[in-house]
Amino acid sequence: MTQVLAPQPAPETRTGHDTVPMTRLIRAELRWIFRRPRTLIVLAMLAVIPVVIGVGLTLVDTNAGSGSGGGPDDGGGALLATAVNNGFVLPIAALVMTLTLLLPLAAAMAGADAIAGETAHGTLRGWLLTPVSRGRLLAVKSFGVATVALVTVLSMAVTGVITGLIINGTDSLFTISGTTLSLWDALGRILIAVAWVTLQLWAVGAVALAISACTEHPMLVVVSVLAGNIVFQILGYLDAVSWLHPFLLNQNWTSALTEVLQDPMASVQLGEGALRAACYIAIALSLAYARLTTRDG
Amino acid sequence: MTSTAIRGVDVSSEASTPSVPLAARTRGLRKVYRGTVAVDQVDLDVPEGAVLGMLGPNGSGKTTTIRMLLGLVRPTAGEVELLGHRMPDGAGHALPDVGALVEGPGFHPFLSGRDNLFRMAAAEPRLASAGISGAVEAALERVGLSGAAHRRYKGYSLGMKQRLGLASALLVPRRMVVLDEPTNGLDPAGTREIRKIIGELHADGVTVLVSSHLLAEVEATCTHVAVLHEGSVVAQGELAELLESGSPALLVSTPDGSEAVEALREQRITSKLTPEGVRVDLAATSPPDVLAILVRADVRLYEATRARTGLEDLFARLTEHEPSTMDGSEGAS
Repeated sequence: MTQVLAPQPAPETRTGHDTVPMTRLIRAELRWIFRRPRTLIVLAMLAVIPVVIGVGLTLVDTNAGSGSGGGPDDGGGALLATAVNNGFVLPIAALVMTLTLLLPLAAAMAGADAIAGETAHGTLRGWLLTPVSRGRLLAVKSFGVATVALVTVLSMAVTGVITGLIINGTDSLFTISGTTLSLWDALGRILIAVAWVTLQLWAVGAVALAISACTEHPMLVVVSVLAGNIVFQILGYLDAVSWLHPFLLNQNWTSALTEVLQDPMASVQLGEGALRAACYIAIALSLAYARLTTRDG
Repeated sequence: MTSTAIRGVDVSSEASTPSVPLAARTRGLRKVYRGTVAVDQVDLDVPEGAVLGMLGPNGSGKTTTIRMLLGLVRPTAGEVELLGHRMPDGAGHALPDVGALVEGPGFHPFLSGRDNLFRMAAAEPRLASAGISGAVEAALERVGLSGAAHRRYKGYSLGMKQRLGLASALLVPRRMVVLDEPTNGLDPAGTREIRKIIGELHADGVTVLVSSHLLAEVEATCTHVAVLHEGSVVAQGELAELLESGSPALLVSTPDGSEAVEALREQRITSKLTPEGVRVDLAATSPPDVLAILVRADVRLYEATRARTGLEDLFARLTEHEPSTMDGSEGAS
């Protein structure tokens, strides 16, 4: 009876604190995120995409040109054509193409799992009971989603750059204005693109978190974000609602990223897009906070 | 002649004084979910150091009350105090000393039991980072899960999941432990172990709140009982006192059962034939009178004992026969 009594750890392992250090929570959260098979699979699949694009472009090397792209505003197809024999455009073209659907999907999934998924498993309650205050919980969750977005984009850029350099060599770093970049210039610009895409994904992730705080069905979060993404794209095509366009998160995503490829680099749409994303993040996280602090656990 | 084996539970006498400090208390607690009254007018007292069994049929408001007690749910009306802190606003100060297993264990299926506990321990304010690993192993050991700790939670049986939930409630020494249906899905051995752990906690002076619909479980482990029915507390107090408060009865052992019942009915005394003998309601009479009547009616008597009111009888009386004693319960039909 007594041998199982009390896990009495040494006194210094005990604290009188009512809160744990934020870093400890974040570390636990990241460990959880990056051990989740789903996260790893999505990460790996997205990281493979630039490789696939690079290899595909090499195989069909000869035909560069029209046919590959879709809709009227779809710069992806045109960019792909540019990416042939171009180690600089390849990683950014890969980001542009995945930004329309797959990257927002990854961010939505991370946001969905963060709150709704945890609620569904009954695991959120565990942390609320230890207790982790709801404000800190949102901070930890946001940090986790942001990290997933950053790691995803970064790993795509890395595989994209490596693929581009292997296939085309370091003397293949051309801008779409026709100039040639040094390796470090090219890497710098790719980093800018990575940062900008990550910021856009943070906006998507923040929206996903806000929806996530309102439901306990992670699937609903993913579906809502994807549906919103598509509706925004459609609205973006409609001139009748042009007054709405400045408020659409994914407005000019492709053309903004194309600015990185120009020489000298433009920044009008990049700046506008960054500002828009920042507004989305602020609003969405406020809504998520309001919902999370008032909801029953 | 009449045995007095009513006190089945040994209760320390000082616990019955009303001035005993309370680990948790609620006043006028009410929760309405979309027009449905889940809990109404709940005044619950959990004395410090007590093992309080919260009894009630399914849907009687046990879990809702517990969730409000722990600050997970904001009450529609009324107040909650947990370890001296108003809830839910004082959750940050009260909850570090409270271990809880509410609404079944919640863990991540793809992590092992141990890793799940590590994740919980990381959020435990009373644990210094250096103590996490030791506390996790000790908690696993305590609930008998050390052998399966490396396996994924996904593959756990219901009982193992329940044990892991208990382990996370016991990660740090607590002042209070709240267990919502802790023996759900456990085999008899597991149930015994839970009882043993509750007993150990009690011996350490920890206040324990156990909700259950298993009467035997409560009767065996608790010092106090609160009975919930249709969202209100219909009875609460020390287990022994509550059991005594039940209508007294005399159990008469006789081969002439039906004659005995007949003779008593002529004297307007209620009784019924049970497998153990004739059970006579003593509400309006006394044992000597009953025996005198039976003897006069030539009923052969072997033995007469005071029947102990089991928790089951009490519970049945409180939750079945009497309609709820609360008022203003428009939603709880």
